[in-house]
Amino acid sequence: MNKTPERIESLAAEYVLGSLRGPARRRFERWMMESVRVRQEVWFWETRLGELTGAVEEKRPPEAVWQRIEQRLWSDRGHPAKARTTTPPTRTPRGAWFWPGWSLLATAAALVMAVVLVRQPAPVAYPQLSGAIVQQNVADPLWLVSETTVDNRLKLRPVAAAEPEQGKDYELWIVPEQGDPLSLGVLPVGGIYQVTLTDAAREALSRSRTLAISLEPKGGSPTGAPTGPILHVTKLYEL
Amino acid sequence: MALMEAEQEELMRLLGSVAQGNRKAFQQLYERISGRMYGLCFKLAGQQELAEEALQDAFIRIWHHAGEYHSERGAPLSWMMTIARYRTLDLMRARKVRQTAGDDLLEHVEDERHGPLEASLHQAGSAALTGCLEELSEVQRDSILLSYYRGFTHDELAEALSSPIGTVKSWIRRGLIALKRCLER
Repeated sequence: MNKTPERIESLAAEYVLGSLRGPARRRFERWMMESVRVRQEVWFWETRLGELTGAVEEKRPPEAVWQRIEQRLWSDRGHPAKARTTTPPTRTPRGAWFWPGWSLLATAAALVMAVVLVRQPAPVAYPQLSGAIVQQNVADPLWLVSETTVDNRLKLRPVAAAEPEQGKDYELWIVPEQGDPLSLGVLPVGGIYQVTLTDAAREALSRSRTLAISLEPKGGSPTGAPTGPILHVTKLYEL
Repeated sequence: MALMEAEQEELMRLLGSVAQGNRKAFQQLYERISGRMYGLCFKLAGQQELAEEALQDAFIRIWHHAGEYHSERGAPLSWMMTIARYRTLDLMRARKVRQTAGDDLLEHVEDERHGPLEASLHQAGSAALTGCLEELSEVQRDSILLSYYRGFTHDELAEALSSPIGTVKSWIRRGLIALKRCLER
């Protein structure tokens, strides 16, 4: 089916309205995955039709609902709260209710990390950094980068990152304002990569806000400095 | 208007804290919006059990994904309500909940259009959408509102509005396009 602007417009509206169903709905979700333009059209309708919800009468939910939410999130039998920092949401097993459906929207949302509005007071002197490693002509970012200032951790989540060529690895670096790049280790593409920054690394990153990825022999650079080509350089944003 | 903005700012602040794993903020967020969200889920599903489940699921999702909110997705409240609405629709489809108009259909449609809809939309500064809805033909508007608020499928609409399914589809499609043209003006 041709993705004409008119067709995208029409399907996005019906998607949000809910009248698009079955295989057509799933096909459209694939379009959403592939195109920012399609996602933006969906956001347009979510926002505009969302205005209609203001008209709905409030209704107080039974107390038990909140208790069940707490139980599901934090009871020992359920997922421990810690899991949310280590389990990528996109790794939810297929068939779980929020996948594929509207979690695609969430993935889409993540693409615009640079404009994420989550404003938080920095708990320490450093600003919290965030950003994306992108490649020209690739619509989706390769990795999304975020940082938790509380425990000085840098987190990279692969989105469109491809496996390196055979016998090679990606290595992540902080590019300081002056001096040699600091290695943050070999960067896998299969899952979220988290690295705890030393105070020195944190200091260097907060000044330069620059990360780089180089292509190295399997296991990482043998010399401690980048040896292969620098594939990507990215500047992080302050949230 | 200023009140609304202040509220969105407060929701934004809470959502930000939730993204940081702040449980207290999460509870405050729940206290603030669960009534509105449950109202929407209940209206859509037409039954308590499913509405409660949708509400629960929506909040679990908000907890896990608060950090993915961004301004292109609309105001924070709109984003969260969208989450709840999609979840309710998913559950309705999974459970094959069948919506029938019943005897009160016409009355219901009237209510939606001329009752609380008008007042609160204006209150929310949504004159654009309200004005644009008025530009649609009555059947277009009814089809869209029944889909939106009650989750009617094409089949259910055809039955409720006593019209062939093809006709209903075209009402919705044309209605939405007309709505968009109007909103873009």
